Amino acid sequence: MSSVRPLLGKEATALFSSPIAYAVIAVFLLLLGYTFTAFLFLNKTATLVHIFFQAAVLFLLIVPVLTMRQFAEERKSGTLELLLTAPVREIDIVLAKFLACMAVNTLMLALSLTYALVLHAYGQPDWGPIYSGYLGLVLFTAALVALGLTVSALTANQVVAATVSLGMFLVLWMIDTLGSLLPYPFDNMVTGISLLAHFTPFATGAMYLSDVGFFLSVIMLGLFLSVRALARR
Amino acid sequence: MSYSKTMPPVLVADQLSKRYGSRLAVDGVSFEVASGEILGLLGPNGSGKTTILRMLTGYLRPSSGTAQVAGFDVAQEGLEARRHIGYVPEDIPLYTHMRVDEFLAFMGHLKGLAGGPLHDRIAAVCKRLELSQVQRTAIGKLSRGYRQRVAIAQALLNNPPLLILDEPTNGLDPRQIIEIRELIRTLATTQTILVTSHILSEMEKVAHRVAILLNGRLRGVHVLGGSETASYLRLTIRGQPSARVQACILAVAGVVSVSQEETHGEVTAYLVQVQHLHVAEPLTAALVAHGFGVLEIRAARLDLETLFLQLTRTEVPV
Repeated sequence: MSSVRPLLGKEATALFSSPIAYAVIAVFLLLLGYTFTAFLFLNKTATLVHIFFQAAVLFLLIVPVLTMRQFAEERKSGTLELLLTAPVREIDIVLAKFLACMAVNTLMLALSLTYALVLHAYGQPDWGPIYSGYLGLVLFTAALVALGLTVSALTANQVVAATVSLGMFLVLWMIDTLGSLLPYPFDNMVTGISLLAHFTPFATGAMYLSDVGFFLSVIMLGLFLSVRALARR
Repeated sequence: MSYSKTMPPVLVADQLSKRYGSRLAVDGVSFEVASGEILGLLGPNGSGKTTILRMLTGYLRPSSGTAQVAGFDVAQEGLEARRHIGYVPEDIPLYTHMRVDEFLAFMGHLKGLAGGPLHDRIAAVCKRLELSQVQRTAIGKLSRGYRQRVAIAQALLNNPPLLILDEPTNGLDPRQIIEIRELIRTLATTQTILVTSHILSEMEKVAHRVAILLNGRLRGVHVLGGSETASYLRLTIRGQPSARVQACILAVAGVVSVSQEETHGEVTAYLVQVQHLHVAEPLTAALVAHGFGVLEIRAARLDLETLFLQLTRTEVPV
């Protein structure tokens, strides 16, 4: 675990010293701010439900950009050899990259709290759904990062990593629509792996332990597969 | 640290093999590196040198066989084994956006150093590798020679007993090559070194022993400057290569083997392995008696190039 700190420092420096993090944060806040303003003026209701869904969709597009380079770039430039031949465990390398990506995501979410403060200043929002929505977004983005890291660990090509991650995220997001077409019990099985089906309760203010468990399981699975992908050599 | 054959081995590779699908990249390679020794792994590109180093450093898992560094199995006790290795990969992979001191501090932390001892070690390796002037320069702005020094510096941070260098002079200009060669010799006073190269002359200048690889197989281990360099004769005979000449040479008592070396016009050179250099006399007499024009016969120092050509004569690199 002692190696995670220097590795995390290196990853965070790499992310924030490149324009990627700033571009991603700027685009995220711009789009979310536009939706927030438009919705507030049109509906005049103190809620962030629509913001949570839009943020989730934006994360489907943003996370592949963050994760694509994590292992793919290190593999291509050869620095992965430097890391893996140092006295460091694979899990430490994976955790550091996971936490660095989550730092960017959390920063974006923290900045979007401004919308909640605006609602608080000019209205009386129900804070329950706001808390659950943010918790859902943190779990949701963490699951995406863990899966994105797995894909990045399997290839040396950043474009391939981003494309495969994006495709996987979109399928997992929308797969519940396919579930409704399938007979029992396949409909339940397909809906059971849908990111949208597990995220919706958080966004609408209903938290279920099963949904928390689902996202935690996906995070653990993603991290485990990333470690296995690194160890497969 | 001086090298002696009686020193305990720092590195033991036993029947190491690596298979990629149906291709056997490394085939049952075994060797040892004694404490204080510089062992060179020599072979053409694609002969399996880097794959062997990657298995020894834990980057690749061997398909079969084992390797131990300082008594630790590189597969079973990888973390502990890697603590005893300083590795400089080929092509000098470094984080080019970092400054030299930042990079060394980062690598030092990974190797378990921190605080005062880390700063002391960074200062020591920078002094030893003459990096003090560029400590605060971004690695991306350094010349290839300096980058190679930075890569070696990170490998030395935790003062490992074994230093593994993969093609350390690749891409350097002649002056930088001489500097790195001198550096390796200097490092050998405190470290055991395993170094690879595809350049024969490089190996002759730095290594105590050279292991020759071809097509993933170890073809032989040669002691540079050792006693086995004396029992060869180089014969120059007028005429085209001839099986009769070779048969005549082999018929002489004391001749172990003969191989044709090169032909220039009407002159052909042969390398003859003999039990003793005194065989030169009856050998010359026999050739003259059979009517062959002996132009020259001399004791041949079996240099690395000759040995390499001999060992690899029957195989074509793939």
